[in-house]
Amino acid sequence: MTGPDAGPALLEVSGVSKHFRGLKAVSSATLTVGEGEIVALIGPNGAGKTTLFNLVAGALMPDEGQIRFRGRSIAGRRPDQVCAAGIGRTFQIVKPFADLSVIENVMVGGFRGTADRRLARARAEEALRALDMWDQHARMASALTLPDRKRLEVARALASQPTLLLLDEVMAGLRPTETDLMVAAFRRLNAERGVTILLIEHVMRAVMALAQRVYVLHHGEIIASGTPRQVTSNPQVVASYLGTVAGH
Amino acid sequence: MNRSKTALLALLAVLLIAPLALDRYLLSVMILILYLAYVGQAWNIMMGFCGQLSIGHALYVGLGAYTAAALYQHFGVIPWLGMIVAVAVCVAAASIVGWLAFRFGIGGTYFALLTIAFAEFTRIGFDHFDWVGASGGLFLRVEQQGNIDLLNLRGHPLMFYYLALALAVSGFVLSAWLLRGRAGFYFRAIRDNEDSARAAGVDVFRYKMFAVQISGGMTALAGVFFAFYYNNLFPEQIFNIGRSIEIILAPIIGGIGTLFGPILGAAVVTVLSEGITEALAAAGYEIPGVRQILYGVALGLSIMFMPHGIWPVIARRFGFARPGTEGDDDRA
Repeated sequence: MTGPDAGPALLEVSGVSKHFRGLKAVSSATLTVGEGEIVALIGPNGAGKTTLFNLVAGALMPDEGQIRFRGRSIAGRRPDQVCAAGIGRTFQIVKPFADLSVIENVMVGGFRGTADRRLARARAEEALRALDMWDQHARMASALTLPDRKRLEVARALASQPTLLLLDEVMAGLRPTETDLMVAAFRRLNAERGVTILLIEHVMRAVMALAQRVYVLHHGEIIASGTPRQVTSNPQVVASYLGTVAGH
Repeated sequence: MNRSKTALLALLAVLLIAPLALDRYLLSVMILILYLAYVGQAWNIMMGFCGQLSIGHALYVGLGAYTAAALYQHFGVIPWLGMIVAVAVCVAAASIVGWLAFRFGIGGTYFALLTIAFAEFTRIGFDHFDWVGASGGLFLRVEQQGNIDLLNLRGHPLMFYYLALALAVSGFVLSAWLLRGRAGFYFRAIRDNEDSARAAGVDVFRYKMFAVQISGGMTALAGVFFAFYYNNLFPEQIFNIGRSIEIILAPIIGGIGTLFGPILGAAVVTVLSEGITEALAAAGYEIPGVRQILYGVALGLSIMFMPHGIWPVIARRFGFARPGTEGDDDRA
């Protein structure tokens, strides 16, 4: 069940569940991301979005279900193996290498599959330029502002030359103009380099501008999917965000 | 050629001709400095680069020393071959420590405790290991100091000075090379944030193991040097936790995670402790334990006033640092 105008499925998540003790964080979630698509995953706080990301990225092991990337199962693989397979991710709570400079941070990603320092550096430079961050390459990561740290997360993931980029709330806390710049950067990456993007996002301005398709997660379940416009006009989705009328 | 490279070559030149101006005592002080600089460099790869704290590096010094010394004493194996075996033994020991810790997710303080435990029970084991003299010690055949026998590492302190210099230089070069390449980036990524490192494609287990193995293997050579320089080995002495602490003082005071820190720290620590001991002796005092007290004070002061060590302060002051340029030179 790929999107209407999408290529073959790049990422297929089918029937994936994850429990933490009694809590069902993700419950038989199924979603697909086609090659070259930009797909958004939205939902209220605590819906299980980040857990779902962690399952795909290998940070967590699913209790049940299948996760396939380019047709191969990646469920339960280590994060570095998932990265090596071509999935780059960012963290919602940014985790820069604080004692490294910006370019060094990004070069860590750039070393994927190569020990060639020059290649790693070239990849890092390209990633930083793509995000309009090159002028900051010599600064220490610990000296960056939060929006810049978010961009650094993206650059590091990007430098690992991913086929699929998982972005976890990279626009949160950005000003509208900054959001627009970031949206433009992702569009460029998608159009020019064919990077497929799955993003978790609360900033609807970004979701509407970027996503071709949207999945809505609520209490660990996918309750709706479709184009941004279809999804936002879905009464169930509105209810999940705003709650239902009392006595309903 | 940048400033730090020029300064480095100048330092090397001075060290090469230094023995001309040094008497026997000062030569032994220089040997100690170079020795500590080398072991500090080895320890720094594990802690400074990769963030894995070892307080049991005496384990590798001792194992390396005993391996080469016992092979020489019992089978007449020349130390140049013995050191290969010593390195192999220490890499194996490091692999066991690393595997146990990293496979079972032991990190931070608990990892440090594990390194102490290994050094301690090896010490106790060697106390009862009759083949190498047990607690009575292992003594190497001492030849006439006049003739230099490079093959068997017997002879004049001058030879040991140049050997120590060669060790210190190669330790520095190896560290610099590691830091510049992928391993150096991965080590530091692991040190700063393991989750991010994993997500960026770093096989954290493998690279932590690599850091521990290379550090242990390097320290083995320091042990071989120690054995042939001092000619006697006692488990109580060589595996002592005090020796492990001595090893880590130099890089901590000099600047953890930097290339020059271990060298600078070794010089500062040795000159301070030797200087004060000498000064006190000249004044007619002989206070047991004053060295240890001094170490404590130096460490305390350095942590209070220069938490990142002396080198970063000096590097900034004299323009050796170029902040943010990929860390080859600014952290050098």
